Parts: sequence; C-alpha cells; structure tokens
Amino acid sequence: MVIVEIINGPIVPFPSNDDRNQDGAELVFNGRVRDTEHGHKIIALEYEQYEGMAEAELTTLAEDTCKKFPINDLFCKHRMGRVGIGETSLHVSIWAKHRKQAIEAMDWFIFELKKRVPIWKWAIHPDGTKVPSECTH
Amino acid sequence: MKIKVKCFSQVKYALGENEIILEMETGSTTLGLEKIIREKADGKLDGVSLRVAVNQQYQSEETILTDGDEVAFIPPVQGG
Repeated sequence: MVIVEIINGPIVPFPSNDDRNQDGAELVFNGRVRDTEHGHKIIALEYEQYEGMAEAELTTLAEDTCKKFPINDLFCKHRMGRVGIGETSLHVSIWAKHRKQAIEAMDWFIFELKKRVPIWKWAIHPDGTKVPSECTH
Repeated sequence: MKIKVKCFSQVKYALGENEIILEMETGSTTLGLEKIIREKADGKLDGVSLRVAVNQQYQSEETILTDGDEVAFIPPVQGG
C-alpha cells in the first residue's frame, strides 16, 4: 500500500505500529533543511510544486518502488511552502520483511524523487531575498 | 489557439511570471514554444535544461499543441 501526501505546515510523522507480524523492518527517513545552500547561509527553504502533477508523479513513484522492491508499504509526506532550518521537508516510512530491501527501496525512491517529481526549492537568504536553489542533491 | 504556460523555479525567476497565456498558430509544437520561452527569458535560461510537460504529463518527444493545452517547461527538480 502507498500513502502520499503533499502538505502545507509541519509534518506529523506516520505512526509506528507494533502489530505488524510480517514486517521485520520499519525504515523511517526524515529529510531536513540545512542552514547553507551551496556554501551560502540561508534562513529557510521555500518549496514549490506543480500542483496536481507533483502528487500524481509522487504516487506513481511510490507504486513503482513497491513493484520494484519486495516491500509491503511506502508512506510519504512532502512539505510545501516555507520550511525553517532543521525542520522536516520530506518524511518517508517503508515497511518490509527485511532491512536490506527496505534500505535499497528507500535509496531508490528518494533518488528518483529528485529526478522526476516536479518540486523545487527556493533559498531564503538572511536579507530576505529569495532565489531558486541550485542544489540538486 | 491559446496555450497556457506554467512557470516554476528558474523559469518563474527568469520570466517574473507564474503563468503566461500565449496565442500560437495551429500546428505549433512544444519545441517552438520552448524557443519562445527561452527568447522571453533573454539569456537567463541559457544552460538550463528543461523537460516539457503537456497537461501535466512529461513528453519525451516534440509534441503538437492543441488549443487550451497547459504546458510547463520543467527545470531540474529538487524535491526532498
């Protein structure tokens, strides 16, 4: 099963679960905002999406990941708008029988997200100016 | 025919617009539209690779546009 949410406002993590008898691995990733972009100090990032297409592409990607790897569930939340330093912009939770498959699936999912999901970030500098981020990591 | 161009990230920054409505001739293609957008950007999109989406679907080849299409020239994405 996949759950994909693109949201405004702080991310509330997906709840953990002690009742899953078949899954030996619960892998959680939180992507957080650093205080520098390309060596320049920033005070926040502002995320922008192509509304509609971003959620559709993210859902397709989550489904592709579940087909490509032997995992059971992939849950993802991506935040839009202004995100402060240290705050979570991306939250992913993967459930699988074994850790190796969960880790490989997580790595591929995030790698592909950064290639195909139409979401961008703008760097907010200390003087308040806002420019498209050049960071593609 | 009227084509709506959605602008994001570097395209938005270069053009100073969230979206543009353009009047184009019947038979116009994504490639022709990209040329117009790059010219409007006056060099600010030089060296920026752009993928194209028509009606929210990526297009891998040049596509003929139809009246009312929504087109986005998508600079490198940066989610995460």
